[in-house]
Amino acid sequence: MTATVPIPPPDATSSTTCCEYCPMACGYRVFTWPLGSDGGPAAADNALGRDLPVGPLAGGWTTENMHTVVRVDGEERNCVVLPDPDATVVNPGGGHSVRGGALARKLYRHDGPTSDRLTTPLLRVDGTLVPVPWDLALDLVADLSRHVVDLHGPLAWGMKIYSYEFFENTYAASKLALASIRTPNWSPHHAPAEGDDVPGLSDAGIDAFGACFADDRAAEVILIAGSDPYETKSVRFTQWQSAGGARLVVVDPRRTFTAAWAEANGGLHLQVEPGTDAFLYSAIVRDVLEHGWEDHAFVRDHTATRALLDTEPKWRRARFGRTRAELLDELRSDPDLSLTGAARITGVPSEKIREAALLLSGGTGPQPRTSVLFEKGVYWTHNYENTAAIANLGLVLGATGREGRATARMGGHQRGGVKAAGYPHDLSPHSVDGHPVEMDTERWLVEGNTRLRWVVGTNWLGATAGTSALRARVAELVGTGDPVTVADLDHARQRLVERIDAGGMVLVHQETYPNDSTRYADVVLPAATWGEEDFTRANAERRVRLYQRFMDPPGAARPDWWIFAEVGRRMGYDGFDWPDANAVATEALPRTAGSRKDCAVLVDVAEASGRRVHEVLADVGTTGFQAPLGLDGGTITETPRLHADLRFKTDSGRANFVHVDLDAVRTRNRVLAPRHDRGEVWVLNGRVNALWNNLSDYVRRPLAMERWPANLLEVNPLDARRWGLDAGDLVAVENAEVLDHVGATISGGFTAVVYPTDVVPPGVTFTYFLYPGSDANDVVAADTSLQPLNLRYPFKLGRGTVRRLGRAPGIEGMSFAPRNLVPSTDTGAHDHDH
Amino acid sequence: MPLTRREFMIAGSAIGAALGGGIVAPVALTWERDASGDVAAVTARFPERTVGRWSELVVGESTTFDYPAEGQPNVLVRVGRPVAHGIGREHDLVGFSSTCTHMGCPLTEYRADTATLGPCPCHFTTFDLAADGIPAFGQATQHLSRVLLRLDGDEVVAFGLRRPIYGHADPLHGVGVRVLAST
Repeated sequence: MTATVPIPPPDATSSTTCCEYCPMACGYRVFTWPLGSDGGPAAADNALGRDLPVGPLAGGWTTENMHTVVRVDGEERNCVVLPDPDATVVNPGGGHSVRGGALARKLYRHDGPTSDRLTTPLLRVDGTLVPVPWDLALDLVADLSRHVVDLHGPLAWGMKIYSYEFFENTYAASKLALASIRTPNWSPHHAPAEGDDVPGLSDAGIDAFGACFADDRAAEVILIAGSDPYETKSVRFTQWQSAGGARLVVVDPRRTFTAAWAEANGGLHLQVEPGTDAFLYSAIVRDVLEHGWEDHAFVRDHTATRALLDTEPKWRRARFGRTRAELLDELRSDPDLSLTGAARITGVPSEKIREAALLLSGGTGPQPRTSVLFEKGVYWTHNYENTAAIANLGLVLGATGREGRATARMGGHQRGGVKAAGYPHDLSPHSVDGHPVEMDTERWLVEGNTRLRWVVGTNWLGATAGTSALRARVAELVGTGDPVTVADLDHARQRLVERIDAGGMVLVHQETYPNDSTRYADVVLPAATWGEEDFTRANAERRVRLYQRFMDPPGAARPDWWIFAEVGRRMGYDGFDWPDANAVATEALPRTAGSRKDCAVLVDVAEASGRRVHEVLADVGTTGFQAPLGLDGGTITETPRLHADLRFKTDSGRANFVHVDLDAVRTRNRVLAPRHDRGEVWVLNGRVNALWNNLSDYVRRPLAMERWPANLLEVNPLDARRWGLDAGDLVAVENAEVLDHVGATISGGFTAVVYPTDVVPPGVTFTYFLYPGSDANDVVAADTSLQPLNLRYPFKLGRGTVRRLGRAPGIEGMSFAPRNLVPSTDTGAHDHDH
Repeated sequence: MPLTRREFMIAGSAIGAALGGGIVAPVALTWERDASGDVAAVTARFPERTVGRWSELVVGESTTFDYPAEGQPNVLVRVGRPVAHGIGREHDLVGFSSTCTHMGCPLTEYRADTATLGPCPCHFTTFDLAADGIPAFGQATQHLSRVLLRLDGDEVVAFGLRRPIYGHADPLHGVGVRVLAST
């Protein structure tokens, strides 16, 4: 008997992990076993304990994309990464997305598409990256870092690093950068500055990740803004949101699958003009308040009075915090916030705005359990104003702290950040109105102040706004002086110190695969990643789990925490002598105390039982523990949702409304919006389900590349006809005026393949944000002075013209099928338990 | 000289084995893997069954048939334009398993205007029958299993599958699997 897909035998080695990708972090089982000893279809003959074939929704079926061959202790073994069919949380029954369902294909194998993993440290010699021993690479990075910090100061040494890639790694990195070197030149993968992504929500006192997935199922109405959860957090939609029967109010310029599904199932799609969301949310808030449809008891008992706001110690909340009456006065004074005014600005018909207000609040009838959920379409546009407006909406609806009621982000990545020290605001060179804000590290770098930048686990020079301008500047900085010509430590140190002292910059890139940033790197450090080390991380509902190691890292690759420790030690800092990842976790987890991810008690539990903290987590497999955690008589207690006591993260414990500066929005839109007289249209960007995030490993997946052999540009069929475009045409998208990182006007552009679709309305196009060779963010402004309160890029508000170049080569067979079809009949068939 | 069907299968098997060298499963009578690990080829163990008549097929309408075992549903579609792996004068006739490869729910909606099967009622994946059954949108990680078809005069004959069917480690074996006889 021959299996078409290998079946794990009963004695396969079994471990648990969670999906690497979206903020859900679905639970997975991993099996490895020797080649040539597969199991069989009878339950007794396989590790799943299931008779094959399995029926619909049973879980436990292995597709070809769930299988690969890996090395374990040097030996080749079959490996299956399977959605946990016995999962009871997150993805009950083995639900999964197209991302997680092909996790096996991300794993390193020397004879497959992933064979180009970085496997050795590299040094650029005469323009080419050549392998060098770890000692040479680590000594060089440590020596150059020491030189920069000592001679040019801590602000000249910068690290740009993922915010999410496991507690052990982010803790070790921050121990080096923030606790030891103590530099403010530290920024996350997605932003030029450290800090809060949703400042308006935070100023209202609401935690961005207070929701739990069960609340989506319990909700009767859910506002989903600036996100297509079906495409980007799929299991949240398929197993929690659509499964619970809530009516959805989707705010999105695009008629996505989620938007189409909402309308087909008793909900609404508010197809908002890009950049005008703050008007829409504020108009709904005004309509609710004017009719008295708000949650009166909640607003009365749990939002702040003027007296409380006046004693608020945080300057931004003190300045922008509002009472209900103050907010209503402001909203009433703006003619653009009447229903007709808002309809004119947002493009959403006034009757639909009213309908949304009624649906969300219940009008004069019983108040529904309503949640307000959002993501990057909200906060990567008008960052402060949009997040303030959506916080106001959540508060008038009382959408917090109770079953089926939350106001929260849905998440972009998982929550894997733990810092060893706070961000040194006092050292930041940037401020607003005399108040220090986190440093704009890109502006600082472009201005020539960063002498060493260490980029960790992010495609910095592919993803940043104003992409090509930044790349050109980096090329200039790393091209300063004479190149390294010999792979020798002393020689390389001397040449690179000369460059640093001459005003140039050294670039260190720590990665799993080469990407756009690697091309400019002087030193490349190969990282071991998911599946190759034991790691800990929380998901979007604060569920902390262990991601177990089950295979060897490729070649000489080592986990990030180890690399930071080696450099820290070589720089002469104490506290970097961890023997393993568990030791890092044991030191890191207590630093979560008091946070939404508080899992400090795991260390106490481990010590009390004489076990390792990773072992304590391994015991609870794909279920994990939902933080914040406590201890009750030796038993770990969990927290399903935050704000359950209806107390908020303010000095008084009461939430507050937040001023929405719509004039700032109007001014910014005048800079960013397309100029119709120049033939410009909106160029929005975002994620595509089958490609996930930065394509770091997706570009090596046969299925992903067959589906998307080139980047797409969604174009409305009317625009396509107007511009003479057909499906499969290659176009240049060009923005003749982009503000770069220091406010200079440059041009930007990228190419993509036309995908005609009614997902986008006329005048709006959409593209995947980080397809290799297709720099979508090159048409996006990078000048943070546009948003001085919080230094963020308006990634979602690109603009440009579209010009046909000809037929796209190399895309034969690419599907142009619709991507927003909803079942034409009753969708009651979808499973409620899966 | 054209290969006979048997010779073609043997040749295909050898090619599959060569491409699949060093990878995964032992070379099988039924399946081989290509360099990416995809299940690529089929052999003569599949039944040969008449599953339709060309003269009765209507462009834009789908018909259904079980293959290769009882209870394994498939659709037969004339798309109306040349498509990948289409047979017949117009290269537009294709057959696919109608079991969603994501979690096994039945795909019942064929939309002629877009040549799509789906969305699946369970988790909403849509497959493009004009592009080899690729998941065009949704959560499936695998193409629909394509039924290998040929025309014997007016008869549409199924003689194998490309890619596994949901739920099955092997569509011809398993607990309770009853393979249909050749016709």
